[in-house]
Amino acid sequence: MARIRFEGVGKRYPNGFTALDNLDLDIHDKEFLVLLGPSGCGKSTTLNMIAGLEDVSAGRLLFDDLVMNAIPPHRRDVAMVFQSYALYPHKSVYENIAFGLRMRKHPQAEIDRRVRDAARRLEIEALLERRPHQLSGGQRQRVALGRAMVRQPAVFLMDEPLSNLDAALRISTRAEIKQLHQAMQTTFVYVTHDQAEALTLADRIVVMRDGVVQQVGSPDDIYEKPRNKFVASFLGNPPINYLDGRLAVDAGAVRFERDGLSLAIPQPLAQALARFGGREVSLGIRAEDVSVHGTPPPGQALGGRINAVLPVGSDIFLEIEAAGSQLFFRVGKEVQYRDGDNVALTVNVNRLHVFDRQSGESLAWPSAAA
Amino acid sequence: MPLARLGRRVLLLIASIGFLAYVLAPIAWLVSSSFQPEFEITSKPPHWLPHQPTLENFAAIFKAADEVVTYETRKQGDTATGGFIPSTAKYLLPSMWNSFLVAAAVVLLNLLVSVPAAYAMAKIRFAGRQASIYFMLATRVIPDIALVVPFFLFINKLGLLDNLWSLVITYLAITVPFSIFVLLSYFESLPDELDKAARVDGCSRLQTLLRVYLPLSTPSLVAVVLFSFLTSWNEFLLALMFTQTPASQTMPIIVASFTSDFNISFSFINAAGVLAIIPPVILAIMFERYIVSGLTAGAVKG
Repeated sequence: MARIRFEGVGKRYPNGFTALDNLDLDIHDKEFLVLLGPSGCGKSTTLNMIAGLEDVSAGRLLFDDLVMNAIPPHRRDVAMVFQSYALYPHKSVYENIAFGLRMRKHPQAEIDRRVRDAARRLEIEALLERRPHQLSGGQRQRVALGRAMVRQPAVFLMDEPLSNLDAALRISTRAEIKQLHQAMQTTFVYVTHDQAEALTLADRIVVMRDGVVQQVGSPDDIYEKPRNKFVASFLGNPPINYLDGRLAVDAGAVRFERDGLSLAIPQPLAQALARFGGREVSLGIRAEDVSVHGTPPPGQALGGRINAVLPVGSDIFLEIEAAGSQLFFRVGKEVQYRDGDNVALTVNVNRLHVFDRQSGESLAWPSAAA
Repeated sequence: MPLARLGRRVLLLIASIGFLAYVLAPIAWLVSSSFQPEFEITSKPPHWLPHQPTLENFAAIFKAADEVVTYETRKQGDTATGGFIPSTAKYLLPSMWNSFLVAAAVVLLNLLVSVPAAYAMAKIRFAGRQASIYFMLATRVIPDIALVVPFFLFINKLGLLDNLWSLVITYLAITVPFSIFVLLSYFESLPDELDKAARVDGCSRLQTLLRVYLPLSTPSLVAVVLFSFLTSWNEFLLALMFTQTPASQTMPIIVASFTSDFNISFSFINAAGVLAIIPPVILAIMFERYIVSGLTAGAVKG
C-alpha cells in the first residue's frame, strides 16, 4: 500500500538553481507512473525525493498521509533500480540481492528463499556466485532488478534502468518490467527520457520541463491531447510538424488559413476552436496523420515536393517541402517515391492540433480540461 | 624498427639500474657497515662486503642498558678499534618504543578522523563543503617550521611538554589533511549511485561507509596508514622541540644524539640505523601491492 502525494514541493540548490518548482502530484497505489522529460527537467530529482536521497526544500511529501520530508531513505519502504545498476563490486550476485534484506534483519532462511525465488524468475540462478564485474550489462541489470524485487517494497523506483542496454535487450526488458509490475502489485515510479518506454509502460505519464510539470495523463491523453507544443513535440517519431497560420471562423465553420493552404477543421474540434476566430496559431500535424492515397478532398489537401526519401524498414519517412516549410511524414511502402516528385497529401483533419502561436498552449485542450 | 625498440629498451634498462643504484647505495652501505667492525668501516677504501662480518654492533645496542658510559670510559676508547658506545645509547630501545606508540596512535586517530571526514566531503552536499576542502588543503601549504612556535606555545599551555601526546597531537595536525585528501579523491571516484543504492537498501550513512565504501577502499586506506606511520616514525623537528627527556624522546632524536657525543661510533650508529628502518620496511613489504594504486587512485578517471 503506498499512495504518494507531493504538495507544493520544490527543490532549490544552494547555488540558486531550481530543480523543481511547486510540484503537486498524486501517485496512486499500485500505479505505474512514468516521469518523462529531457535531461535536467527535474524528473530524477523527483524520484530521489521519493527515495529520500534528496531533501525537500519546500512543500510536503506524503506517503499514505504520513509526511516523509525528514525520514531518511533507510526508514522508507522503497527500492530503487539505477541507470548504472550500482551493484556492490565486492559482493557476489547472491549477496548483492540479499543485502537489503540483511540490513533489515530478515531471518537467514527467509533471505535465502527470497533470493533464490527472484533469481529463478529473472533466470540468473547460475550467476549467484559471480561478482558483478564478471557479468554482461543485461545480467547486471537483472541483478539490480532482483535486488529491488526481493525487498517487496511499497514503492518501486527506477531511474532510467534501460538506458545502458542495447536496443534489442531494451525492448524485451521493457516487457519484463511491465510483467513485474503486474506480478508485484505495487506502486512503480519510473524515470525516462525515452518516449517509447513511457508510452509502453505507463498507466500515467508526467511530462516535465525545467522543473515544472507540463501535463499529467494516460499515454493516450498525452499523445492525442497534448496541452502545449512542448508535450506535442516530445512524443512522436518523427516529431510533430508545425505550420504557422491563423484561424478563420465563419458561421460555425472553422478553417486554418495560410498562404496557399486552407484546411477545414471538423467537429468536435471546430466547436472548441469557434471562439478563437482570427487568432494566430501553430497547427500541429503528426507525422503519421497524412495519407498519400487517392485525390485529396477539398479542405484536406496539402501539396508539396519530396526533398528526401528516408526508408526505415517498416515505413518510409518523407521530407516534404510544403506551404513554405520543411515537413516530415511517415508513410507506407506501397508507393514508390523519388526525390523531387510532387505529392498531394490528404491530411487527417480529425487529428489536428492547434496551439496559440505566442504561448504555445493548446487551444483545443486547454490546461483546465486536462 | 625492432632494432630501435631494442635500443630503447636497453637505454631504459640502463637508466633504471642507474637510478636504483643511486637510491639504494646509501641503504646498502648502511646495512653492510652495520655488520662491519669500526676499523673496517673507517678503512680506505671502504668495503661493500664486510671482510669480518660481526653482530657485535647489534649486541652493543641490546646490552647498552647495562653499560655505564662516563667520560673516563670514553677516553679509553680508540676510534680505530671502536668498542665504545654513545652516552645516550641505552635510550635507543625505549625511544623506538616511544616512536612506535606515537606512530600507532597517529595511524589509528588518522583513520578515525579522516575516513568519515573524507566520506562526508565526497558524498554529502553540505553548505561550505568546497570551502572546507580548500581550507584543509591550504593548511598543508604552510611549512612545518612556521608552525613550530605556535605549536610550542599551544603544547606548553596544555602542559604537555615532554609528553608523547604533544607529538600525537601535532603529528595529527600535519597528517590528517593529507589523509583526508587521499581518501577524498578515492571516495569521489566511487560512483554516487553506489551510495544511493546502499542507503535505499537500508544503510544509514555510517553503515554505507562501513559496509560498502571501506571494503572497496583498501588501497587508499593502506596509503593513509603508511603515510601517517612513516611521517610519525621519521619526524624530527617537532620531536626536537617538544621532548626533553628520554621519557618522551623518539628514535630520530636519540639517533641524532649519537653524532654529538665525545666520539662518534659509526658501527653503533649504523646498527641503530638498520633497526630504525626495519618497521617501515616491514610495513612496505606487507602492503606493497596496494601502495602505488592507493596513491594514484582517483587521480585518473577510470
